[in-house]
Amino acid sequence: MNNLKLFKRQTVNELSTFYSFLIGFIIAIFIGSIILLIQDKSPIDTFSLMLRLSVGSINSLSASLNKAIPLILAGLGISIINSVKLWNIGAEGQIFLGAIAVNFIYINTQINSPSIHIFVLLVAGFVGGSLCILIPAITKVVFGVNEIITTLLTNYIVFGVTIFLINGPWKDPKSLNFPAAAYVGEEVFLPTIIGKLSFGFLICILFTILAHYLKNKSVFGFEMRIAGGSAMTAVYAGINAKQKAFIAMLIGGGFAGLAGAIELLSQTHRVSTGISQGFGYTAIIVAAITGMRPLGIFLVGSLFGALSIGGSVIQTIGVSAYIADIIQASTLFGALIIQFFFTYQIKKVEND
Amino acid sequence: MKQYILEAKNISKTFGNVKALENVNFYLRKGKIHGLLGENGAGKSSLMNILSGIYQPEKGSIFINNVKQKSLDPESASELGIGMVHQEFRLIESFSIEDNLTLSKSNIYQNNFKEAYEKYSEIFSLSVKPEKTISQLSVGEKQKIEIMKLIFKDSKIMLLDEPTAVLTPQETDQLRISLGTLSEEDEKTIVLISHKLKEIREFTEKVFVMKNGKMVAEELSTKDVTDDNLIELMMGNIQKSIIDKSNTAGDTKLSIKSLEYVDKVNNFKILDNINLEIKAGEIIGIAGVSGNGQVELANIISGIEVDYSGKILINNKDVSRRGVRSRKKLNLSYIPENRLGVGLAPGVSVLDNSIVRDYFKTRLGPHLSRSKTENYLESLINKFSIKAPNSKAEISTLSGGNMQKLLMGRELISNPEVIIASQPTRGLDVNAVEAIHNLLVEQRDKGSAILMISEDLDELFKLSNRIHVMFEGKIVKSFNIDDADINNVGLAMAGIVE
Repeated sequence: MNNLKLFKRQTVNELSTFYSFLIGFIIAIFIGSIILLIQDKSPIDTFSLMLRLSVGSINSLSASLNKAIPLILAGLGISIINSVKLWNIGAEGQIFLGAIAVNFIYINTQINSPSIHIFVLLVAGFVGGSLCILIPAITKVVFGVNEIITTLLTNYIVFGVTIFLINGPWKDPKSLNFPAAAYVGEEVFLPTIIGKLSFGFLICILFTILAHYLKNKSVFGFEMRIAGGSAMTAVYAGINAKQKAFIAMLIGGGFAGLAGAIELLSQTHRVSTGISQGFGYTAIIVAAITGMRPLGIFLVGSLFGALSIGGSVIQTIGVSAYIADIIQASTLFGALIIQFFFTYQIKKVEND
Repeated sequence: MKQYILEAKNISKTFGNVKALENVNFYLRKGKIHGLLGENGAGKSSLMNILSGIYQPEKGSIFINNVKQKSLDPESASELGIGMVHQEFRLIESFSIEDNLTLSKSNIYQNNFKEAYEKYSEIFSLSVKPEKTISQLSVGEKQKIEIMKLIFKDSKIMLLDEPTAVLTPQETDQLRISLGTLSEEDEKTIVLISHKLKEIREFTEKVFVMKNGKMVAEELSTKDVTDDNLIELMMGNIQKSIIDKSNTAGDTKLSIKSLEYVDKVNNFKILDNINLEIKAGEIIGIAGVSGNGQVELANIISGIEVDYSGKILINNKDVSRRGVRSRKKLNLSYIPENRLGVGLAPGVSVLDNSIVRDYFKTRLGPHLSRSKTENYLESLINKFSIKAPNSKAEISTLSGGNMQKLLMGRELISNPEVIIASQPTRGLDVNAVEAIHNLLVEQRDKGSAILMISEDLDELFKLSNRIHVMFEGKIVKSFNIDDADINNVGLAMAGIVE
């Protein structure tokens, strides 16, 4: 009897993740087109409009890249934590707590130099993100509690805290009953570089390089890989696997917290529920599509930023903005399926 | 024609290139307890898996009650009354004892569970209520439930795969009595797999011996056969060393003084007063059936296990309270028995795995130089002739032999003074075994002190200058290689010391 069996390929093409992303993206566009056709809309018109309004001018391009910043930073954080084979589902909460930390420091400190002030606030955002993942990190390394559950749950807690703050102690009396904290002063707004492109994008580039170095070129990255591969090998090698996991989680949370800080200082300028529009969840898709590679996260994050800007503008011609979400999610599905065929081959074998 | 309840004739089975069973004959008499003896990997479990329908043989035929069985699968084997207790328990942990016992559709005590449970829990001297969930039971109790499960689904032939491996001596005694009752009163036919001579002798009437996939002795009467006979059958002839051992030993490199290690959960001494000394330029072999404290000994010397009492000295320096890293810096290397999982990290690249021992020597602050690590791997690959697709390939794409060469190479390239090698050739093919042996001898000649833990007596006799035998956490006997022979070492391994 013949059977089909899976074999792991000896060598996997180095660009396989890139190819699977490309094919996944094409599949996603195809699925999007079908949905548009069902709604009697022309896919070509819709997609060309999306393209034009997301990357067609300096203004639209900078809007797209601004949207990409939180996706990229949170995605990088997820990829660092995944070096020890842990999953961070809590980037959304970390973004919010990053923004809350910024506002907290902003309210409670007095710094005269704007550049130092901004720097301090960005650091506060990073620390806020780390604090958000602190409890999941402790419960993981001390008690072995599944981090997927705990990081997910912190999202709801932090969201609750945000709602409490913007309806209670931080509620802006001038906001006409809209639940939001007061705006921060213009002196701490992040400057723009070209068009509307925020200075945050430069930070984003810097942190992409940092994450790439940390994961791929540093001793710490190596130790994380061994700890993630086998805890027993880590013990055998004299590597403190729990310590590496703990530090990786704090750094990863910090990246997402920084995203929240940049979002606050360059886009919303105040704490509200609009600090993140699900960036922390989309970032999981971005990180997973790229196989947790920082440079890939930068590219795919930028594309997904453009997609969501494109998605929001096509509403003007009566197409739901969800078409962008559908494309993002289908890209992940497509890419994961294609990646499977790069990693495994299917062979016919004689039944044993 | 003799009256056998089960007959297996000329059974052959191969896995990949390995002949697990070759023309094996096996037959069971109704109501008797049979022993199946053999070293690890001799093919005992494969044979049992064929009889219980889990594996299909390539060749051979099976008769049950003189009826030829066309093909056995787990379901039909179970219907024919063949039941097996595997080494790893197959109980549903979150279910109650009653649920586990009555789960099978061939359960015969559906309506009178209570009486049946009472009867058999008395035979097994089991004093727990059937409502208890399995996860609350001790290992010994779970074992009893596993065997009771076979009774409840009316198995007439009970195959028990190393049932005593997890039991204390007292529990083993109890099991012997229970099985005796089952065979006498219920006429159960029982097969006991073991590699412990003492148990085979005490439990069984008839004994079969396997070696390297062949049945080397059929239906011996346990009363009439001697321990010496059984050991010779089980282990075969061993060629005495062809390796020159005239090298002279130097200074003491590793000494272990009154080492004790207690399993705190079960309050059980895993290592008991171990004293060892190894000099430069000698290989000391540790013989013993696995599970007699060897893994723990190696872990303690290498610094992985820290909760012990006693002293460990490397180069006369007390390292008892030092960690793994600082022992490595004193030039100790450890080749763990668990190649993939401990020695090498699965899911990680060949390159990363190659630098696990020495990466902290080449680091520049936080930076890990890619070119340096690539060079390091390259020198390993050249020096130890390792075949690897490329440095980024995942480690488990390498063959077992190449994995072991990478692991050995990594541990040996810096010319360590003390080497702990645990089961260094387990599961490797002949050529790889030869290569690994040569590496160890070469290292010995360079002046390393080597502790080699092995279950393979060929290997121990070939390489060691001295052999210590471990049994139940103690070194029960030590031999100079010239005084050691297969019988006295084998008997000591079975715990029989005059």
